[in-house]
Amino acid sequence: MISVTPKTLTGIAPKIDLTNLSPEQVALDIKNLNLYYGDKQALNNITMSIPKGQVTAFIGPSGCGKSTLLRCINRMNDLIDICKVSGEINLHGVNIYDRQVDVAQLRRNVGMVFQRPNPFPKTIYENVIYGLRITGEKNRRVLDEAVENSLRNAALWNEVKDRLFESALGLSGGQQQRLVIARAIAVQPEVLLLDEPTSALDPISTLTIEELINDLKKQFTVVIVTHNMQQAARVSDQTAFMYMGDLIEYSDTNTLFTTPKKKKTEDYITGRYG
Amino acid sequence: MAATSIASKSIVSKSIYKSGRYANKRQFKNKLAQWLITLGGISVLFTLVLIFLYLLYVIKPIFASAEIEPIQSIETELSAKVFSIGIDELKELAYFIDGQGLINFYQIEESDFRDVGSKVLSQALLLDDVDNTKLKLLVDGSDKKLLIDNHNRIHLISPEFSASYIGDQRDIIPAITYPLGEESLVIDEQAEPIENIAFAMNDELAVFVAFTKDHRLIKTTFTAEDDFNYDPAYETQYQQISFQEKQVDRILVTPDLAMAFVQSGNKVFVYSLDDEDDVPLKALINPVGTTNMRSSAKELPTKELTSMALLSGGSSILFGNSQGEVTQWFEVATDNGREFKQIRHFEVSNNEAITNIFTEKYRKSFYTITASGEIGLFYTTSEADLWRGNLLGVQPTAFSIAPRADGLLMMKGQNLQLFSVENEHPEVTWQALWQEVWYEGYPEPDYIWQSSSGSDDFEAKFSLVPISFGTLKAAMYAMLFAVPIALSSAIYTAYFMTPALRKKVKPTIEMMEALPTVILGFLAGLWLAPLIENYLPAIVLLLVFLPAATLLTAFSWHKLPEKMKKRLPETLAPIILIPVLILAAYIAFTLSPVLEIHFFGGDIRQFITNDMGINFDQRNALVVGIAMGFAVIPTVFSMAEDAIFSVPKHLTSGSLALGATSWQTLIKVVLLTASPGIFSAVMMGLGRAVGETMIVLMATGNTPILDWSIFQGMRTLAANIAVEMPESEVGSSHYRILFLAAFVLFVFTFVFNTVAEFVRQRLREKYSSL
Repeated sequence: MISVTPKTLTGIAPKIDLTNLSPEQVALDIKNLNLYYGDKQALNNITMSIPKGQVTAFIGPSGCGKSTLLRCINRMNDLIDICKVSGEINLHGVNIYDRQVDVAQLRRNVGMVFQRPNPFPKTIYENVIYGLRITGEKNRRVLDEAVENSLRNAALWNEVKDRLFESALGLSGGQQQRLVIARAIAVQPEVLLLDEPTSALDPISTLTIEELINDLKKQFTVVIVTHNMQQAARVSDQTAFMYMGDLIEYSDTNTLFTTPKKKKTEDYITGRYG
Repeated sequence: MAATSIASKSIVSKSIYKSGRYANKRQFKNKLAQWLITLGGISVLFTLVLIFLYLLYVIKPIFASAEIEPIQSIETELSAKVFSIGIDELKELAYFIDGQGLINFYQIEESDFRDVGSKVLSQALLLDDVDNTKLKLLVDGSDKKLLIDNHNRIHLISPEFSASYIGDQRDIIPAITYPLGEESLVIDEQAEPIENIAFAMNDELAVFVAFTKDHRLIKTTFTAEDDFNYDPAYETQYQQISFQEKQVDRILVTPDLAMAFVQSGNKVFVYSLDDEDDVPLKALINPVGTTNMRSSAKELPTKELTSMALLSGGSSILFGNSQGEVTQWFEVATDNGREFKQIRHFEVSNNEAITNIFTEKYRKSFYTITASGEIGLFYTTSEADLWRGNLLGVQPTAFSIAPRADGLLMMKGQNLQLFSVENEHPEVTWQALWQEVWYEGYPEPDYIWQSSSGSDDFEAKFSLVPISFGTLKAAMYAMLFAVPIALSSAIYTAYFMTPALRKKVKPTIEMMEALPTVILGFLAGLWLAPLIENYLPAIVLLLVFLPAATLLTAFSWHKLPEKMKKRLPETLAPIILIPVLILAAYIAFTLSPVLEIHFFGGDIRQFITNDMGINFDQRNALVVGIAMGFAVIPTVFSMAEDAIFSVPKHLTSGSLALGATSWQTLIKVVLLTASPGIFSAVMMGLGRAVGETMIVLMATGNTPILDWSIFQGMRTLAANIAVEMPESEVGSSHYRILFLAAFVLFVFTFVFNTVAEFVRQRLREKYSSL
């Protein structure tokens, strides 16, 4: 058996029954989701519910489809020409793949942070308010407030408050990633998707981001894809294990890491492959 | 651990010391490659520096000042007053005419036949049938001299030099000719003694303007029966000029026999000599009077006119005054007809009177001499102050400029002194090249490039302003046409086009760059220019129709039902545009004559010229803009496309994930991040447009004018060099100025590229995301 790092960081999350969530508890409801890259199927009939106000982690070996699934939630896969999706993802009971859905509006509700920090070549201030600017917000007070709030929420305010109008490219990798998180939460999304947010960072920055994720779930539903099982164990409330485009096992993190039900899950978390 | 490290060490040391043919060969190849690459790099730099230095080497002499050096001094047998001196073209023989009416030729430069200082020829010029004949007055008129003796007999003589060859050696032989015969000339019908006289002559006419002792001003014209070069026979016409003054100080007749300047005190009367029946007063100039703006009221009384001379060509007259100033005057067209105006002003010396002004025969240079022997050399048009100094310490008793203006001959006591003058390019100064210059015959100062003309009196006008301006104008119109098209197609190709189509489109546009510009120029000059002239309304309509048609097509495509869209592969969607654009162009060209008839009175060209008052050249900036724009588009497109395409995908994703539309992402993130590359693309295009030669040569009309008008042509630096270099004399000012133009072009492209690089670096520091 492996020893799972005790959950020291997550707060005491209310125990919820994933198989029987009430509609108010559900942030995202994924139903029979299939995804094809050309002829190749990358996601096989995924069905799962992601609870509100919690951190849900997707783990699995490389190429298992966890990032693809994450990108389906804000339709970033639309950018790939050969990508076709069937099935539903419901946000507030609305299928986001419905033709009536405005993708830009959806993405404002479902923010995303990528593996590599990607601040724009602008000032820190302009980076944070980018999402507000593109919706036409011009009120200086609103913008200033958003900058301060978002940077505080992203635990970056104290470090950058004196250099808001300097280029964001002068920040360290960890700071840049927190800036990107601040940028994502400045538009007040409901769901925040984190695609391996710490894989390009050093251990100390990783720790800061993990602490931050723990704070973020108070306001947002967080979905995180991670390669690092210990990180999943540290930060998430629920964990989904994926393998070859299938959702193998999905349960609360403690259960999944201590008493996995499926052999594949156990093999993976004990390090037999992956 | 220790064992392995020793083992690995031994392996390493083995490989270090491993010798053998193979290892040596490899090392040799490595060294050879290193040397070859270094050599290549250094030779590129070296060549660049060499080009730069060569340009400077050719240009340098035009900015050099004049140099005057003594080369020879010979003692002569001068016993009485010297009246005139002179020298031959090759500066070998010098002569003087003394008060006895004797002309003496001396060898002043060593030759194979005679020593320096030896007397070559001595000849009496006056008739000696009456005792005690002495020279009273001598008047110089170009290379001829009018002699009046104390018995009032008048002769016109011309000292001439001919070269003969004995074996390989050249010998210069002097001779005296009498172009109007050896008899005494009758200038005054009433045979009064002549106090002052001036003359000028050409092959058929000799005109004398003289002031007699009984205060008559007369004009006498000798008309050759045949040609004075062969036959001195002539008919005489006497005219009296109405003139009230009792005194005449100086008289000048222009070499074209058109005007006479008669100085009486501080007034100069200008008479027109063109009329056969009458000699009307043309103007009265007051060179030191109230019209002289420089002088303050206090100085006025003491200022006197002390010398005057005609500048080469005879259009300008120079006045020297007692305050050490020289002023240049010529006729200028004004609202009141042609008037003499003071054009320039030279401060020659401090309050010392200018006793004499001598002008060069072929150029607009002049020498000034003051009573103390101060000599100044100036050039009028360029306002160049070329040389000042005192060569003899005293005022020379006689002064002469060598025929080729490469030497000065002066008489001091009994000594004839020869000086060399190094003054190749007096007409070129920085000021004359870049500032407005008031040329003879022009109503006002202007920037003019006119390097040659059919006339002998022509003065070359070298202002680099119009051609530099033309370069910038051509480049600007080309960029105006090219940049919007190149950048929008770059954005479309890099950001919106499907990768499959991009792979075909990009190389195709880049292929355009390989198109020889001579073909573009040829098409522009011979096909496009007449087309635009004939269908000008169509061209203007196209500017509206093409974008409108494109937008309309895009909009309809957007509204098309999904099903119909699916039928056409997405790669082919843009192809729909082609027939639409052809149709738009067809409509524009069909409408063109209709518009011309209804709105522009049938001919738009005449409408523009007559009704709008705009000059219309067939080869104009519009043609150049389109043709050169066409040449610039691939350069700008290719670099800008690369810049936009290489914007990292994670930045676009980041923007899209924040809910930005494609358009917002493009404007706010992609273009911003690509801005260094886009900027350098535009600057590279500009550099190309500035240096482009063939297109501008063939499509601009090569008119060096200063006008931003889109309907006027221009001449660019590059085209100017290409046009004029074959016909410029090596080493002449023109030749060197063309090199200067090349240098300016070099500086232009250098500056553009440096600024581009500098700005690009700054932008990259700011916006580079990697």
